[in-house]
Amino acid sequence: MKKIFFLFAAAMMAFSMTSCLDQSEEPDVQDYTITASNIPAANTTIAAMKEKFSSQMSTNNTFKQVNEDIIFEGVVVGNDISGNLYQTVILRSIESTPGAADDQCIQLGIKNTFISPYFPLGQRLRVNLNGLYVGNYSKTPKVGQPYYTSAGNLRLGPMLFQMCGTNIQLVGKPNTNAPELTPLELSDDWFKDAKNQNYKNSPMLAKATGIIKEMQGNKAERPSTGELSGEKEPLPKIFAPKALYDAGYAVDRTLVTNAGEMTIRTSTQNDIAYLPLPADSRTYTGIFSFYSGWQIQLRDVDDIYPMIK
Amino acid sequence: MVASVLAFAASAMAQTPVDSLATDNSDFAFTESQLDEDNDALQVVPSVAAKNDPYLQNVGFRFSSMRFKVRAYDNQYQTTYINGLQFSDAERGSFNYSMVGGLNDATRNREGLDGYEFNNYGIMGIGGGSSINMRASQIAQGNKVALSACNRNYVGRVMYTHGTGILNNGWAFAGSVGYRGAPMGWGNVEGTFYNGFSYYLAAEKLFNQNNSLSLVTFGTPTERAQQGASTEEAYWLAGSHYYNPNWGYQNGKKRNSRIVNSFDPTLIATWDWKNDDRSKALTTNFAFDYNLYSTTALGWGGDAYDPRPDYYKNLPSGIFDVYDETKNNPTWLEANPFALQQWNALVDYWQSDEANRQINWDRMYYVNSQSQNGEALYYLERRHSNQLNMALSSTFKHTIDQHQKYAAGVDFRHTTAMHYTTMADLLGADHFTDVSKFAVNDYGAGSDEAQVDLLHPNRQVKEGDIFNNHYELYINKAKAWANYQYTANMWQVLFAGHIDGTTLERNGLMENGLYKNNSYGSSGVAKFLGGGGKATVAFTPNVNHRLALNVSATSKAPLARNSFVAPRVQNNFVNNLTNEDVFTGDLSYNFRFGPFSGKVSAYAAYFENQVEQTAYYNDQQSTFTYLTMTGINKKHYGVEAAFEYQATQHLSFSLMGTIADAQYDNNPMAQVNYEGQRPAETAKLNTCLNPITGEKMPLQVIAKGMRVSGTPLTAASFAIKYNINYWFFEIDANYFGRSYLSFSPYRRLNSTYQTAGKFYTSSYVDANGNPDFGVSAEELEQNGGICFDQQGNVVETYAAGQEEFKGGFMLDASIGKSLRLKKGKTMSINLNLTNLTNNTNMKTGGYEQNRDDNYYTESGGVYTKGEGKAYKFSKNPKYYYAFPFNFFLNIGIKF
Repeated sequence: MKKIFFLFAAAMMAFSMTSCLDQSEEPDVQDYTITASNIPAANTTIAAMKEKFSSQMSTNNTFKQVNEDIIFEGVVVGNDISGNLYQTVILRSIESTPGAADDQCIQLGIKNTFISPYFPLGQRLRVNLNGLYVGNYSKTPKVGQPYYTSAGNLRLGPMLFQMCGTNIQLVGKPNTNAPELTPLELSDDWFKDAKNQNYKNSPMLAKATGIIKEMQGNKAERPSTGELSGEKEPLPKIFAPKALYDAGYAVDRTLVTNAGEMTIRTSTQNDIAYLPLPADSRTYTGIFSFYSGWQIQLRDVDDIYPMIK
Repeated sequence: MVASVLAFAASAMAQTPVDSLATDNSDFAFTESQLDEDNDALQVVPSVAAKNDPYLQNVGFRFSSMRFKVRAYDNQYQTTYINGLQFSDAERGSFNYSMVGGLNDATRNREGLDGYEFNNYGIMGIGGGSSINMRASQIAQGNKVALSACNRNYVGRVMYTHGTGILNNGWAFAGSVGYRGAPMGWGNVEGTFYNGFSYYLAAEKLFNQNNSLSLVTFGTPTERAQQGASTEEAYWLAGSHYYNPNWGYQNGKKRNSRIVNSFDPTLIATWDWKNDDRSKALTTNFAFDYNLYSTTALGWGGDAYDPRPDYYKNLPSGIFDVYDETKNNPTWLEANPFALQQWNALVDYWQSDEANRQINWDRMYYVNSQSQNGEALYYLERRHSNQLNMALSSTFKHTIDQHQKYAAGVDFRHTTAMHYTTMADLLGADHFTDVSKFAVNDYGAGSDEAQVDLLHPNRQVKEGDIFNNHYELYINKAKAWANYQYTANMWQVLFAGHIDGTTLERNGLMENGLYKNNSYGSSGVAKFLGGGGKATVAFTPNVNHRLALNVSATSKAPLARNSFVAPRVQNNFVNNLTNEDVFTGDLSYNFRFGPFSGKVSAYAAYFENQVEQTAYYNDQQSTFTYLTMTGINKKHYGVEAAFEYQATQHLSFSLMGTIADAQYDNNPMAQVNYEGQRPAETAKLNTCLNPITGEKMPLQVIAKGMRVSGTPLTAASFAIKYNINYWFFEIDANYFGRSYLSFSPYRRLNSTYQTAGKFYTSSYVDANGNPDFGVSAEELEQNGGICFDQQGNVVETYAAGQEEFKGGFMLDASIGKSLRLKKGKTMSINLNLTNLTNNTNMKTGGYEQNRDDNYYTESGGVYTKGEGKAYKFSKNPKYYYAFPFNFFLNIGIKF
């Protein structure tokens, strides 16, 4: 009987000793980074770099591989925090004069569905173009690597995420009060002036005020039909209903401003997409680019003022 | 490098082995692989070792390393009894071997039962079964210690068992405790560990010659880390078929994302009554067990990047289609140098550091730390599948005379299956908002549809909280059965029959925003009446020859696990849910001619109205999807043979094997359900259109001709056994062939065929009246298709080809010695060596990925095939491999 009691005690001990191997300490990730740490100092600026590759920047959907150390710095002024900008970081020149010729932005394409944690707004980056490609995607200057789109077209796409470990370096900590985060407030004439409608001003962080055309008069009650889906959009209208998606899985809305009509382009399936379209005049901050007209991509729901509740 | 790319595509990468299979040991009651329930691939091996059957006695030992299934039957067709009470899982249908894992000595009293044999416990499944007697009085008196070392899932095992035998006061006590373990990284698969205890305690009181009462309790609390299957490309990049994508480094230490915790404490009370002359016996059992089972898995919300290291976008072949000869050639690669640059960059990344090809835990913590409101982007969830089981059975057996006997009984059981997910680890975040990320994408975060539980909208989930899904299944079963055997001089007949009733019900404990009216509360009760019968006629002209013909017909309720269209989120039963019917026939001949003995069998089985369900992420709908097939018909048939030649008193040779087939015999109906989609939209996707008439066609899986997967359909073994002076030697040469990959029903849906352009119509009829469908037979057999005549009738269907694994040999050996020590003590030493030739390329199983090779555009619910994706899911199934060389050393001491 003693042995049976021993076995009983052993069984109880066995039971109490389970679930003890799967234990892990929480890592200290304060200094965690996916980026490089040994990129030499910048040897050019965003504006100079764009000028150097002006041909690839300005001819639609062309690009070129860089095989030398061309290093510049910029501050993150746009990212994919809401999912509207996809695989995209927008860098703006550092300490340039707002609106001046040296105040330029460039788009970094990075292959990852959510890169904003690594590249938050206000973070200063140093980028070495060696091995990467520069050019443009639909006339928006970009750094990345080529790929074939789902439509089979060769385009300048995002760089491999792994390239962040060799070609991008964080400089300091993110500064949410960085002056580069202040959007440009440009005049109506500036927008209208053809001289400004070029790669030097694409992309750029700016703002525009206007009303959404699709919400004016009885248009607000008339649902549009998606060309690809064949379905009518739901009412009340939102920024990017799935029914109206185009080949880029986004929806264009028309912003009527004093400078003319602009396009607010919003990806489906993100927080901005489901915001109700306002009928009244609002100010929209976002990443501006020029193709055949001005296009705005909002970064987050906070980019609409007054905010939509 | 171009050459290497071409080689990459052509050879589909280098192959080395993986897997986590353990094999047998003569000291085991079960094959060790059964008790190693922890194998991460589907683990099905035969439990049958019917007495007097040379084939079934050896098949488990010889073939378990390749996960051989007898007659390719699913485990649910085997029946396991403990102390006379059936212990099959009511939800999944099969016996849960983990409940007795490590209790080898306590389960040693085990009787193998043929599927057609007379027995005292119940009606066996067609796959046979076993009966384990764990009563205290059946445990050998004395002590036994067993020490084991191996290089399998665990590396060490210790067991101690004590039995008192029947004491003078009529009591008997027995107990056993054991431990099996392997610290992280010690097992055969990288990134795994094992931590399993086991206990068994039993008491029995023999009141008199007629009555006894037994009480048995046992359990095996186990914690173990799992291995995951991966693609050939990942194995090639990692340089090993042991590559395990489930683990990664956290703080420099290995951590596995798939941890299983299981504990199935069981209590069985048994009252045995026998009459004075032992001609009648009544056994009544009551059992209670509470099965705790959970497994962890990574979860991610919002737009967070898939954290799995072998996610297809992380793989080099995600850069360009290496299987496309128009691209994977020097000309194209020279014109597109970026493709090779990126391919090389990823190859280098994978191969430069082991950490690069594993889960990056630190990165997930970092991403969560950057969340502005403490919301977890990444987390570790624990998926619970618990069960409360209660069973009551009573069996009566009566040996009428030397010719006749019968046994009959009743069996009642109730199962409450509890399914839910808890937050295991927020990975440094503060909380997780419990919404459906799929529905958020489709309907917006503010929509009702996004809510997982409208009763607790936007629930802020903390660690330990239930979230995502919560439901219960109630299963009740009642059965009455009887079998009768008449034995004459040369003839024997046996009849058996049973009738049973089953009820199924789901009780939702969350109100899902997409299924407001049928997710919370009761689903209603589905009732099924089943039954069946068996008959055996055997001719035994003398003791050396027996010819037996067995037939059976059974109608059984569908398994609860397959009965709901999307059990995590709603109450709907699967359409066309009905009983499954099974018809079998078996002709066998047992013989002995002097030193030569053996058995030859031929069998056939036909299954009708089976139900199978798979769940996967659907590309087109961007959501989690259930696909249920109903009305599945399958046919299994083959021959089995086992021969033994006793050359001398010490030396014997044996040869055994099977050639079988097991395939789907029709194109079952299909039903898909998308977790993040409104029912009306789902309904649109449950049909396809006839290309001629434009009429709606029901959804079907083109499965006819597909083979049952995960088991060799051809297997053979030649063994030499030698024993002398208590030494035992055995060497086995085993051949395995015709194993098949588990096919993807999604890829063979008629609606998938339609969007992929695999509906073929006849434009004209040739001079012989045969329609021309404009497609080659080779194309149809490889990629599948449906041919329609000019009236829109289906002329022929073709299931897309199914991969047959390359066959191969394995050489196993064992050596054992029994020693008599002083004072009546004995010691046995056994060493098993498996896969001596280190064959590392034997695939034991795997599955096709349920994702598309092409992009699609949707218009009005109609999908149009677009460009091909760079990554070809159809070319990248995930595989499991048999273990390479491994050993198991066991030392047992009785005292």
